[in-house]
Amino acid sequence: MEPAIDISGIGKTFKLVTGQPASIKSAVLAFRRPKPRILTGLANVNIRIEHGEAVAIIGRNGSGKSTLLRIIGRVYRPSSGSVTVNGRMATLLDLGAGFHPELTGRENVFFNAAVMGLSRAQAKEKIDGIIGFSELADYIDAPVRTYSAGMLMRLGFAVAMEVDPQILLIDEVLAVGDAEFQEKCYSRIKAFKDGGGTIVFVTHEMEAAKLVAGRAVWISGGRVAADGPTTEVVASYLSNAHEHVDGSVTNVQ
Amino acid sequence: MISEFAELLRYRELVAQLVVRDLKVRYKNSVLGFFWSLANPLVQVATITIVVKYVMRLDIPNYSAYLLVAYLPWVFFQMTLMDASDVIMGHHRDLLRKVYFPREVLPISSVISNLIHFMLALVVFFAYLLFYHLVLHGAPVSSGALLLPALLAMQVMLLVGLSFFVSCLNVFYEDTKYLLVALLNVLFYLTPVMYPAELIYIRLPEAHRELLYRLYLLNPVNALMDAYRKSLLPPFEGHVRGATVHSLGIDWLMLGVCALVCAAVAVGGYAFFNARKWSFAERA
Repeated sequence: MEPAIDISGIGKTFKLVTGQPASIKSAVLAFRRPKPRILTGLANVNIRIEHGEAVAIIGRNGSGKSTLLRIIGRVYRPSSGSVTVNGRMATLLDLGAGFHPELTGRENVFFNAAVMGLSRAQAKEKIDGIIGFSELADYIDAPVRTYSAGMLMRLGFAVAMEVDPQILLIDEVLAVGDAEFQEKCYSRIKAFKDGGGTIVFVTHEMEAAKLVAGRAVWISGGRVAADGPTTEVVASYLSNAHEHVDGSVTNVQ
Repeated sequence: MISEFAELLRYRELVAQLVVRDLKVRYKNSVLGFFWSLANPLVQVATITIVVKYVMRLDIPNYSAYLLVAYLPWVFFQMTLMDASDVIMGHHRDLLRKVYFPREVLPISSVISNLIHFMLALVVFFAYLLFYHLVLHGAPVSSGALLLPALLAMQVMLLVGLSFFVSCLNVFYEDTKYLLVALLNVLFYLTPVMYPAELIYIRLPEAHRELLYRLYLLNPVNALMDAYRKSLLPPFEGHVRGATVHSLGIDWLMLGVCALVCAAVAVGGYAFFNARKWSFAERA
């Protein structure tokens, strides 16, 4: 069977953005400027994720976790290599991404569903389920700018789950929910997994990683430092963090 | 390009949502908002009419109608391109950085919301013509108005193509919008908006007049503004500093060429945009 996500040899480089804004004027005068520095965001990353797997991506700030998630989520294109995704994907990459502050919660649900490529009729079918799961019925007709971070997360998570994806990408947003709602999210994620869904999520909470994911990928300096059972990868990541040693590559298999 | 287009069609609901959101903001959910948005072009038209009639001494009966009929499409042209310069790095920057969707949805929805605004303005224009016809026995709507859908289609193609170029260039060169404002200002005086194209025609050297006039109409903006005037209003006869100016008919060949140019700009713009759209998120 073909994998849910096949990441094969991807690399991502960024041009270092300098303080000066890019302009036609500066392009004309480009001969006076040094060439921009190239930063390596990711280098030769290979990950194969099967259907029904839950994978936690861990690593230090700036290691390339979010870049990797954005490449899977098709927000960025890799500079080299290829990513194949088989199945309908929903992404929750940031709080309130795809929400407009002036529109109400309800209007934003329709907008967010449209951003995910759903038709209005499909969104209408889901709206009750979304409002129900988010527990925001009392606030759903208030503008989203009045929502707290937790409420935004509830709404975003509810939309992402209710559009019935086969693959779910989450970037450390669950942390802002209260304990009770987090509990609800995790049980929903578990049900999603049991139903054959695939999850990739970035997190800094090792307990959450162990709770949800059977497999963890540790990204360090844009490379895969370790890939294997969560408990083992988390243990070596934590011991590495304590030692403050960088760049050591551990293979846990 | 075909598969990109199929993906775009799948996201038509997003286009609809963006258009509705844009119109809601523009009219601030009130009818008053629409009338305010009309006030600016009407004041402009009144001012230009006075200047043309009394300073430039171009005497065409009911001139304000001949002006308005080209000024409204011009405002559509201008506003759409100005909006295009900001459509990616402006309101939707956040969305772009965090979510996948076909990026061309943004300039396209901006063209559509400006088109709707233009069509509402046209309704007011027709009401104005009707008022003239009934009360002042001025120019009635001519049967050439049947050409209007074709002209709208051409202008939309042209604007979609140009919006692709402008919106994309502004991501990489942030002074594109300032250059655009300067270019639009120049273009306004070069295109037959505040004066009829016939004024250019009679000034061209007689020996190569037909050829030079056709070259002039090769600019799709010139051809379109001229065609709006000729299709929606009856021929006029006017005087400027002693000389008589007659309406010329629509140059069908050049209008056909204009349609081809508009289609080419649309396809070229789409290809240009598609080749660059996936690096927008990194710049945002």
